[in-house]
Amino acid sequence: MSEAENKSVRELPYVMAINEGIKEVLREQKDAFIAGEDVAVAGGVYGYCTGLLDEFGEDRVVDTPISEKGIMGLGVGASATGCRPIIDLMFMDFVGECMDEIANQMAKMRFMFGGKATLPVTVLTMGGAGGSLAAQHSQSLEAWLAHLPGMKVVMPSDAYDAKGMIISASRDNNPVFVVLNKASLAMTMEVPEGSYEVPLGEACVRTQGKDLTIVAFGRMVHEAMASVEKLKAIGIEAEVIDARSVQPFDTETVVNSIKKTHRALVIHEAVKFGGIGGEISAQIQEEAFDYLDAPVMRVAAPFSPVPFSPALEKVYIPSSDSIVTKVKETLAL
Amino acid sequence: MGSRTIGIIANPASGKDVRRLVARASVFDNREKSAIIRRALEGALNTGARNFAYLDDSHNIAGGAFGEIDGDFESTLVPCLKTSSALDTTRGALSMRDQNPIANLILGGDGTSRAFVKGWREAALLPLSTGTNNVFPILAEATIAGAALGVLACGGVSEKEVLHRAKIIDIQIEGEAEDIALIDAVVTKDQFIGSRALLNADVIERIFLTRAEPTSVGMTSVGGLVQPLSQDEDFGMYLILDNNGKIKVRAPIAPGLYENLRIKSIERVGFNESIEMIGPCILALDGEREREVQAGQAVKMSIGREGPSVLDVRKTMELAANRGFFT
Amino acid sequence: MVAKKKNAKSNLPSQKVLQELHMKMVRIRRFEERAGKMMEDGKIPGALHLYVGQEAVASGVMQHLSNKDWITSTHRGHGHLVAKGGEFKPMFAELFGRSTGYCRGKGGSMHISNMDLGMLGANGIVGGGPPIAMGAAFSNRFKKNKNVAVAFFGDGASNEGSVHEAINMASLYKLPCVFVCENNGYGEYTAQSRHQAIVDVADRASGYGMPGVVCDGMDVMAVYEAAGEAIERARKGSGPTLLECKTYRYYDHVGVRGMGLTYRTDEEVEEWKNKDAIEGFEKRLIQLGVMTKKKIENVHASVGKDIDEAIIFANESPYPMPEDLLDNVYNEET
Repeated sequence: MSEAENKSVRELPYVMAINEGIKEVLREQKDAFIAGEDVAVAGGVYGYCTGLLDEFGEDRVVDTPISEKGIMGLGVGASATGCRPIIDLMFMDFVGECMDEIANQMAKMRFMFGGKATLPVTVLTMGGAGGSLAAQHSQSLEAWLAHLPGMKVVMPSDAYDAKGMIISASRDNNPVFVVLNKASLAMTMEVPEGSYEVPLGEACVRTQGKDLTIVAFGRMVHEAMASVEKLKAIGIEAEVIDARSVQPFDTETVVNSIKKTHRALVIHEAVKFGGIGGEISAQIQEEAFDYLDAPVMRVAAPFSPVPFSPALEKVYIPSSDSIVTKVKETLAL
Repeated sequence: MGSRTIGIIANPASGKDVRRLVARASVFDNREKSAIIRRALEGALNTGARNFAYLDDSHNIAGGAFGEIDGDFESTLVPCLKTSSALDTTRGALSMRDQNPIANLILGGDGTSRAFVKGWREAALLPLSTGTNNVFPILAEATIAGAALGVLACGGVSEKEVLHRAKIIDIQIEGEAEDIALIDAVVTKDQFIGSRALLNADVIERIFLTRAEPTSVGMTSVGGLVQPLSQDEDFGMYLILDNNGKIKVRAPIAPGLYENLRIKSIERVGFNESIEMIGPCILALDGEREREVQAGQAVKMSIGREGPSVLDVRKTMELAANRGFFT
Repeated sequence: MVAKKKNAKSNLPSQKVLQELHMKMVRIRRFEERAGKMMEDGKIPGALHLYVGQEAVASGVMQHLSNKDWITSTHRGHGHLVAKGGEFKPMFAELFGRSTGYCRGKGGSMHISNMDLGMLGANGIVGGGPPIAMGAAFSNRFKKNKNVAVAFFGDGASNEGSVHEAINMASLYKLPCVFVCENNGYGEYTAQSRHQAIVDVADRASGYGMPGVVCDGMDVMAVYEAAGEAIERARKGSGPTLLECKTYRYYDHVGVRGMGLTYRTDEEVEEWKNKDAIEGFEKRLIQLGVMTKKKIENVHASVGKDIDEAIIFANESPYPMPEDLLDNVYNEET
């Protein structure tokens, strides 16, 4: 983060921070290119590829067919042979189309080849519900990816982290999934110009508190922060940790916090069963059982596909209110 | 209504060898060959033909076409080897002869007709181009080709009127099975049959032609662009190539592929004359490397008009129309 | 291309090339025969998918490639690696699960690889290779070098969506890539006629907007010539080719037993063995005076000796240590 300290800072929405992150990568790494559906001429369906084609040309900004197996295979083959591709997977839900290339090729090639292969490939993908995009364009499937040895998975919750993590991911010599969140695209904050890193695998304490630790992923960080205000009103001081990275997960920061608060709540947008929250809860109990005064609790989506109707989707996505309710339960209030 | 049988033979392997890459052509897929047969069947059925026999090609090209047509006709499946080589067509020709067809529709290139004639020399043919080198096959819409076969099968014209014997080259290789060529027999310095195609103009030494066609591609064009020789003339042409040859010609030795060749001599070869030579060499017949000739092995080639009969589509249709066959 | 060739002599494959083709095929055959035997004897853990019968394809194609050209292989990948220059010692060591193996015992038969030789791995996933080869070809073009990428896959894999996507993209981008379909007539245990409605996979080429060629995959010179044209075409920037080689696997899908099976007849196996790539080629090499019978016997003997030595090496090599397990899950270098 020291890189960023001397740089001028301005307000930038999440979507343009992604755009800047990609641009910085393409500027600083001559072997980098971005490939994906609609990324070149159209500028990307979310707009974060705007201006890339003009600045970097079509050799480095590559429109692809709607062929996720092919696109992900391109990322595997090109990264293994000396390029540093950024692969754009339009919706996270589409991992199903290319899970073999992700799980069996990208994540494992280095290990299977006895360490001879290096795959510096960054995959950008968009997760999350909230836009009535229904069951196939709204999922949070980070647990699928984090389950793969060899894969790194990060979930930048805000514009600053999005830009910095894209740059860090592209400098990393491993496959990294940067899971973006479509409900956060318009959220603005101060973002430095130029290049800076947000380290992969390091959580960040967003606010300090003494009564309970909330570990939140991606967009849920904002719901957690909103709940902090509501909890304050009833005299509860919650500490919020933005996990930022799913794989590797920063257990240490979480455990240190629990040593202080003695209670933990894990929050994610993915469904609860088999979600990453189960893993984090288990790790807390393995590493900090003696410090706990209450069971580790979770707030996550119910075990249902993401619904279409706004009325149902509102219920589906964890909110600051559902967090407050669960915090009270954890504190036996 | 009594109509004679029409034989149908489709070569699954035509139009997809390495010449498609060296030349400027894409693969000729077998679905289209099946569609060609289907159109020919429509032509034949609409002129009254009712009896068909088809070779059981391993790709179900002909069978697939019959399967898509409803109507009152008889189709006989003629069993065929499935070695995926020219042997299938050669042996299949013998089986087809047992069906006594009046004429045979053949889909393929020069090599396909050659393989068929190797098995049944006196056959009557209507060869349609689905190959890479197509000197022997005719270019015609399959519907009309089928109609002409139908006219013949139904007696609208007589065999004598519309079938013409083709020239043929007979090849004797010392101590081995004889062979034939319908268009060209070429002696090359190659060492292997390999991918079969004549890829390399530089290794061509001699070309023996039944026809020298300036309007075709392949070896026939080498002679054809210098001194045309038609199917009707009763002799052949023998060219000896040499790097110091005085006659220079740039000829399309495959579709879209021109090569420079130098010819030392051009000779007429009369019927019953013969050409003799000693190996080693590779013999390419009708466009494909076919035979390995060992060092010291003798080869004798001669030309005559004892080849297959070929159906004249235009003449058939004109005669039939003038006789009111279609009205 | 043919039109540019001047010297007739240079157009005919040299004796050296012919001998190398022969050596490649013999090395593959002997390696696979021994590997199969060792698996039956319980010396090799796991599953082996052996390449016996298909030697002409790997050998004929690889003769045109350097270590800088990439290939992706199939789960039947030993032959591709041998033809690409793979050495017996680290190959046997890998099959034995030893730390001296090409993959330090982490990959085994189905993932055997050597990046230094341009071999991007055998692949346990049917259809896994072509998208990776397409990516490697993209990389070549991106870096503006003259290297090509060749994807080997089978008739079974030709039905995988990944193969379709890879071929389409390679054609779209005109990548220096060659797709070599080794049609051995079976996708695992299912005959081609039971898994696709076409017989020539090459027929699909026109649908991708690229040339399609069928060649005799039991004739190393047929493969050598056809692959030469396709690879040269790719190298000079004219785009990919779908090259289908008709071939046959003598052994079973997994392991050795090739006869007495429910899904194919022994007669069929014998018919293909009559077209054996190595026997036919050796006969011709003797006719042409390229090799004597004695010299051919010497080749077989010396390859056999190399294999004996490699097996001793592999047997004497240490297994990986338990602490090696977590090495190279990630690249820790920054």
